[in-house]
Amino acid sequence: MNLHESAAEQAFRAEVKAWMAEHLSGEFEPLRGVNGPSAPGFDAALAKQWEQCLASGGWIGIGWPGEASPRALPLAQQVIFHEEYVRAGGPGRIGHIGETLLAPTLIAHGTAEQQQRFLPGIRAGTEYWAQGYSEPGAGSDLANVRTRAALDEAAGGWVLNGQKVWTSWAQDSDWIFVLARTDPSSVRHRGLTLLLVPLHQSGITIRPIRQITGAAEFYEVFFDGARTEASLHLGTVGEGWKVAMALLGFERGASTLGQQAHFRHELGMVIAAARANGAARDPLLRQRIARAALGLQMLHFNALRVLASDASQPQPPAAFIAKYAWSNWHRDLGRLAMDVLGEVADIADGDLQSQRLQSLWLASRSDTIYAGTNEIQLNLIAERALGMPR
Amino acid sequence: MDLALDHDQRLIVDTAERLLADAASSSATRAAADGADGIDHALWQQMAAMGWCGVHLPEAQGGLGLGIVELALLQEQLGRRLACVPFFDSVVLAGTLLREAANAQAQGRWLPALAAGESIAALADESENDSGTAHATPDNGAWTLAGDWPRAGSAAQADLLLLPARSTDGEALLFAVAPTVQGLQIKERPTIDRTRRCAAVQALGVRLDGHALVARGPRLEAAVRRARGIAAVALAAEQLGVAQQCLTMSVAYAKERVQFGQPIAAFQAVKHRCAQMMVAVEGARSAVYGAAAQCDTAVDAGGDAAALDFHTALARVEATEAAQFCAQEAIQLHGGVGFTWEYDPHLYFKRAQASSQRLAPVSVWCERVAAQLLDGPTA
Repeated sequence: MNLHESAAEQAFRAEVKAWMAEHLSGEFEPLRGVNGPSAPGFDAALAKQWEQCLASGGWIGIGWPGEASPRALPLAQQVIFHEEYVRAGGPGRIGHIGETLLAPTLIAHGTAEQQQRFLPGIRAGTEYWAQGYSEPGAGSDLANVRTRAALDEAAGGWVLNGQKVWTSWAQDSDWIFVLARTDPSSVRHRGLTLLLVPLHQSGITIRPIRQITGAAEFYEVFFDGARTEASLHLGTVGEGWKVAMALLGFERGASTLGQQAHFRHELGMVIAAARANGAARDPLLRQRIARAALGLQMLHFNALRVLASDASQPQPPAAFIAKYAWSNWHRDLGRLAMDVLGEVADIADGDLQSQRLQSLWLASRSDTIYAGTNEIQLNLIAERALGMPR
Repeated sequence: MDLALDHDQRLIVDTAERLLADAASSSATRAAADGADGIDHALWQQMAAMGWCGVHLPEAQGGLGLGIVELALLQEQLGRRLACVPFFDSVVLAGTLLREAANAQAQGRWLPALAAGESIAALADESENDSGTAHATPDNGAWTLAGDWPRAGSAAQADLLLLPARSTDGEALLFAVAPTVQGLQIKERPTIDRTRRCAAVQALGVRLDGHALVARGPRLEAAVRRARGIAAVALAAEQLGVAQQCLTMSVAYAKERVQFGQPIAAFQAVKHRCAQMMVAVEGARSAVYGAAAQCDTAVDAGGDAAALDFHTALARVEATEAAQFCAQEAIQLHGGVGFTWEYDPHLYFKRAQASSQRLAPVSVWCERVAAQLLDGPTA
């Protein structure tokens, strides 16, 4: 165990810092500190130009294995990139589903043609991806997928019918990967296939879902005779469940530390607000702010324990608790932020800092629901880590 | 940066786990706790033979010269078994304070016996910064000491007492004295956590020669601060062990206890309680390992007092919460037998409570962190 940073790591940190300072300026200034679509000041078109700027610096795909990656960075340096990115105020990454979920899956399970066709667009920040997993009847119970796809022998290609929901960035994406039932007689995990489908076609309708924040970050996607090419199944036809789960496995990794750098920024906003309005003198709020700061440092060390584990080994204990721990910590921070704002917490036209804290309070309610609810997380911990019966 | 245990650290954990599972079983612990002096002497000798009593003490004084990470790993395993040995009082509290504060002569005089487990030392005051009401007056190169130290762990078992006091002009002083010195009264107080002994110490005008003073002044105060931080991290590691064992016991019990025709481990209400215990345990483990690594890193880097304080608070807060939560859940998940003397959960429940108040409670640590974040100049 040691917490020292090597000279090479320190030099790399300085390199990222300098690059960010030089490039996150001028036309990109409005994006600074804007975490995502529900944050005040978000602009999707500008966010895509920013992705292309990142691509020009060789910063997209730094976590990909082998030759697909623009630079082969060791894990510690990937972590440093994500930390410095957020520290510099780097905006929420509109390309992250393509970069961190689809691309590693393409590299592991895709054909050479699929890789040649799709990886360059992701790496260049010119092609964007959405995830088509959840359905109205398939949330926590994802295997209950009802969206169907069938090969049209006459015209060639897949024809899709059904509906996906909670699809982030659908309006701003070009493609969607869809978990669909390709064997009509199958049930549960069998007979599913992961299909790559162009989003902008007449067989697809996209409707925004207005969230409790007032913004629309998620969409419903309706498939009504939508089409894609016969070769665009990722992995074997009928084995989609396996590929879909492998894809979710890529979610853990270095970017966790970037997320925590963002949390640190939010905690800093809460502390600044408390110092500015006198809440810092309230004994109970002082205790809660201290606990929030300590909790975040615990998450940091927990992530370092996960990253230190051997990726070829079964998931370590620290990894099982990570999602439950960070999502509940973040939700508590949201509530703390409102208590710190005090009697003006309900006033919607305060300064930008207040609006960001209000947005944090509402947006954080989704953390304990998406990507496995609190209840699903506890089931996973009990059954997989503690070996309790299913 | 790396938070994985290295090969030698893994070896320490495995060895301690194996030795203590056997030597500090529930029946051995209960027998020792009910014994005359509350110490499992056979276990203590085995630990001394492994060199554990000097794990973080300097090699020049007969120690192993290892770090706070290794100290914490041992503490974690001792906490899992509630081992009835004065390791925390003697090695962690007194040993660390002597290491940090005492002059070379005093170190040479006391530490080798401590590191060998031949001597047991007790620190008479764990409370915050000041030295209570005890005061010492100089007397021709000697000292006269008077004071009350109401709670001193293992003082009745110790052959060396560390007594903090202040001079009449407020200077911090630390005396090392034999418990047999005339005018010193040591009265054991019964504890609810029977695996830990403590005593009240009283000095009624005790005359001490000049050698008894082992450290003084601002240097002592800084050393006390460092030693308390290290001891608090080590105490947190013990609390982590308590929490882990409560989880392990509860899951094992839930898997074997059958009600409504199936093991209660199959019920979601039970599974979720156990899962939440694991969240607390692993969170505390991350906090304790990170804080211990930070202690070792900070020592190398020359010591950053604020960072040390912050990480000590982290370990103490997370581990205290985990131990108290898991001990309470262990009683609940064991149902009726969890309320009996025969089953072990109450032993852990009592230890969790006792440890929560040593070296300052959670609220004090949090306030210290709050002051860093909210009161100083803006970072």
